[in-house]
Amino acid sequence: MTTSASVINNPQASTKKRRKWKSFALYFILPSFILYTLFVIVPTVGSIYYSFTSWDGISPDVRFIGFANFVEIWNSPRVHNALKNTMIMTISLVLLENVVAILLALLVDKVRWLSKLFRSIFYFPTLLSGIVMGFVWAMLLNYNFGVINQMLNKIGLGALAVDWLGDPRYAMLAIVLSTVWKGAGYYMIIYLAGLQGIPQELNEAASIDGANGWQQFRHITFPLLAGSVTVCMVLAMIGALKIFDQIAVMTDGGPGFETETLTYLIYKVGFGELRQGFGTALAIVLFLIIMIITVIQVKFLQKREVEL
Amino acid sequence: MKLKTRELTVNILIFALTLLMAVLFFFPIFFNIMSAFKSNAEIMRDALSFPTTFYLESFKYLLTETNFPKAIQNSLILTLVSIVFQVLLIPMAGYAIQRKNARWTRFIFLYFLAGMMIPFQAYMIPLFKELKMLGLYGSLAGPIMIYVAGSVGFGSLLYSSFVKGIPMEIEEAAEIDGCSRVRIFWNIVFPLLGPVTASMVVLNGLGIWNDFLMPMLVLPSGEPKTMVVEIYRYIGEFSSRWDMIFAGTTMSVVPILIVFVFLQKYFVKGIATGATKG
Repeated sequence: MTTSASVINNPQASTKKRRKWKSFALYFILPSFILYTLFVIVPTVGSIYYSFTSWDGISPDVRFIGFANFVEIWNSPRVHNALKNTMIMTISLVLLENVVAILLALLVDKVRWLSKLFRSIFYFPTLLSGIVMGFVWAMLLNYNFGVINQMLNKIGLGALAVDWLGDPRYAMLAIVLSTVWKGAGYYMIIYLAGLQGIPQELNEAASIDGANGWQQFRHITFPLLAGSVTVCMVLAMIGALKIFDQIAVMTDGGPGFETETLTYLIYKVGFGELRQGFGTALAIVLFLIIMIITVIQVKFLQKREVEL
Repeated sequence: MKLKTRELTVNILIFALTLLMAVLFFFPIFFNIMSAFKSNAEIMRDALSFPTTFYLESFKYLLTETNFPKAIQNSLILTLVSIVFQVLLIPMAGYAIQRKNARWTRFIFLYFLAGMMIPFQAYMIPLFKELKMLGLYGSLAGPIMIYVAGSVGFGSLLYSSFVKGIPMEIEEAAEIDGCSRVRIFWNIVFPLLGPVTASMVVLNGLGIWNDFLMPMLVLPSGEPKTMVVEIYRYIGEFSSRWDMIFAGTTMSVVPILIVFVFLQKYFVKGIATGATKG
């Protein structure tokens, strides 16, 4: 009689099993390892290499220029402008997406009728392509025949009808709002899971003690959602840093350079202006920013776990 | 009694507010689909009006006079084939990493996880050159491999954490019965991972279907690429044929809507796991 327990307890069988295991593990992991190394790690290392060159992307002549690209990044007004735009976009997206997502989660959690349908409606935009929905938003915001300006005209607020995407003052706002529309539903799902983990008794007890809705939210619900807030903030931040599709289809970085972010600049410099050495140097900067945020997140989350 | 009416009022107010938000959130999608059935003149005249006739000319034009059918085909091939390879390769890797749990697999695990931090823009420029060197530029095989490679990080995290929850006794018993590891995995473990696989398939499938930057860069210029890339190109080229572009965006959105209606729970489950485990 052999049982599984005796295999584990029998050292000889166990080593034999382990040896067999080793070859299988290798065999199971190898295809993923090769593809991942070849198509993620090798080009990433390539980026580090090219960031020290003045390569144009076409000629075989790859000239090593030391830190010149990074010095240019440090001094270039265009890069500073892109970093400023990235910061404005990231901060406004992180705040707005999370505020809207918490509001939607509270509504879906509290609403008595059709809550599943509402959840689906709020979540659905997150599943669509940024190009497709960016185009639809560009049409809604069109100066001449867009729905938004038409409605403003109809209700007598024609003065508020502006050239949303062509006016440097509003282009960033237009991209941020359409991205909030597209992204908030994702974070709403995370907040909903958080809300459903809060024991009902806490709010009931507070309600008996005379706390109003806002006080309950401020002192019970929101503190207990803190874990979800951290997760959503970091996800929203990384997501905002990578925004590309909406900018490509709605403004192409313009008007002027008003909506050119770091991600968009990498693409423009690398493929539009064929300065791929400089483009990879910018890509390394983007990678470092995302890595720093991720490391802070891990540290922060670990600390929170200890406190809990 | 008074308390009851107050409660009802609150409920109605919450419902009204939620309904208002739902209208705001659904309007752009409704507007997109509605505009696809209007002629260009109708769109320009009054963007808000309902279509007066069931106008199908833009769909007909897109499907017969342009390269769009080829783009639809490319989108379908890329999405389906990449997903098949992801399901064939990544669960096995996650399983082996978790069950082996040796120093070298732990190292590989960290190596894979590092990939989750690397944004596509950080390596797209050398990737483009690499594809040319490998002779993969211009074929669909290149993007397929890139999609599989790009999903290794998150995929192995997802699978290894789920495999942890599966008791080992069944596998040990099967091993004693002389089952090979490959059979143990595919016949016993893989079916237990069904819900994770379903979430991975819907979320990654969607990501590939909607992807823009990578297929635009690595598929050859002058030929139809994917639906999303073609829509982007038409926006630049046929800038006055709104009806046609709306027909294209509708054809990209409606399949997602259908998949979502039928597989909703897997979308939601995928996010919840991603948020807590990621």
